[in-house]
Amino acid sequence: MTDELVNVSDLNQYAYCPRRYWYLHFYDTQGRSYERVEGKTTHENQSSRGDWLNELYLESETHGLKGKIDVLDLEGARTVPVERKRAESGDYYKSDELQLAGYCMLLEEHIEEQVREGAIYLYETDQRMHVPITEDHREAVRETVEAIQSMSLDSVPPFTDNPTKCEACSVREYCMPAETAKLEPERVAGTGWEDEL
Amino acid sequence: MKASEGLFDDSVVYVTTQGTQVRTDQGRITVYDVDGDDGELASFPAEKLDTLNVFGGVNFSTPFVRRANEHGIVLNYFTERGQYRGSFVPEKNTIAAVRRAQYALTDEEELAIARAMIAAKIRNARTLLGRKGVTGTELLEDLRLRASEADSKDELRGAEGEAAERYFGLLDEALVDGWTFETRTKRPPEDHINSLLSLTYVMMKNEVLSALRQYNLDPFLGVLHADRHGRPSLALDLQEEFRPLFCDSFVTRLVNRGTITHDEFTQDNHLQDDSFQTYLSKFDEYMTEKLTHPYFEYEVTRRKAVRQQAILLRKAITGELDDYHALEVTH
Ligand code: SF4
Repeated sequence: MTDELVNVSDLNQYAYCPRRYWYLHFYDTQGRSYERVEGKTTHENQSSRGDWLNELYLESETHGLKGKIDVLDLEGARTVPVERKRAESGDYYKSDELQLAGYCMLLEEHIEEQVREGAIYLYETDQRMHVPITEDHREAVRETVEAIQSMSLDSVPPFTDNPTKCEACSVREYCMPAETAKLEPERVAGTGWEDEL
Repeated sequence: MKASEGLFDDSVVYVTTQGTQVRTDQGRITVYDVDGDDGELASFPAEKLDTLNVFGGVNFSTPFVRRANEHGIVLNYFTERGQYRGSFVPEKNTIAAVRRAQYALTDEEELAIARAMIAAKIRNARTLLGRKGVTGTELLEDLRLRASEADSKDELRGAEGEAAERYFGLLDEALVDGWTFETRTKRPPEDHINSLLSLTYVMMKNEVLSALRQYNLDPFLGVLHADRHGRPSLALDLQEEFRPLFCDSFVTRLVNRGTITHDEFTQDNHLQDDSFQTYLSKFDEYMTEKLTHPYFEYEVTRRKAVRQQAILLRKAITGELDDYHALEVTH
């Protein structure tokens, strides 16, 4: 159990596969920057829409979170955090919403005002999608933060039940799902890897 | 540049050219000839590198060391002759939780891991002999069983010792004329073959050491070899299963193919400088050669197979797997 603040972007990592997050945490941190979008120049033209802020770093003891909001849009009365993503599929993932919800919660505490939506900007399609943040999102963030904080070396999360995720996973080399299925088949019982045997 | 001086493999680089400096240049790692006029000798992308081994008079620029730290690159220092001198270990490679799990192993758990390693070593010794057409190796099978059922580390060491003696006696038959093992002496190496074996064990120990470091294990805390100041006991333990399989077979290959001849040794049984360079490049070639993995059935380089064993060892230590699965090749 640790009370270290959880990085908002880690909510996303955890949502992808808790085991993957476990490895990033206890093996090394080299793979971590993998899926982060670099601060490249973008076509997004914000200035016409009013004021905006780049890169706001926030921390919250209450939520156990910390993180950097890419862009903060100040649209009149509303303040909308924007998360920029690269997504070849042209759409964002459910886990991106979790990340966005994390930013909204951080922001809320900072500006002492409710933040009911965030936005995801996709480089590929030059599109901005508004995402309403629901109570379910908030609950999922709280649960994930708790799960991450209570992680320990000897409580290894199970393999993902969706082996296609493993194909693109940067820690596969030391996670070894297929190899484990061969060496200790009982370890993969109940996961998607069972069927691969 | 010669292979032995440059890039051997994606992840491991050896720098043996004297009077050079390792630097960083626009995100790449470069080797620069500072004593001479040759300028840049080699360059590699920082992301791919995980281990850099330098031999003798090679130094690092401060920005490079900073980069090595950021990228988790381990730096190992050796004398010009390949004797290990020390390492630079990046911060991120020192994850306390893993060390704690390693220190918390019980005697029973250590013995179980050591049994797997030694049994595999004996099995691999027999396999190597079999491949060379040497017969009369049945006793090794008995000793392997004894090792895998040993109740104590002493008993295990006993079985291991007997097996080694028996094995080296037979390995002689696997060599071409003009070469002989007779007795396996340690230091100083009394003959050429022993000199080659010793050198190869040092090289392999370095491979294993880097692999253990890469996965945050403490190479100085062993499961079978006694911990002694400055001795990488866990590296020596893990090395056991690779000794016959990779080390001895490499040495037999070197002499049987005539890559190294008796003329290439100095008075005190060391390789001459040029031959040492040849040796290093052959060793690296050998480590990057592919084989079909005995359990996983895909192709891996020997180096990768060694690293996988470090990962599997870590998994056994942290409880991700129930047992340590040593690399055992049965034919
Ligand atoms: S390889 Fe598969 S199971 Fe392992 S961490 Fe990655 S996604 Fe999860």
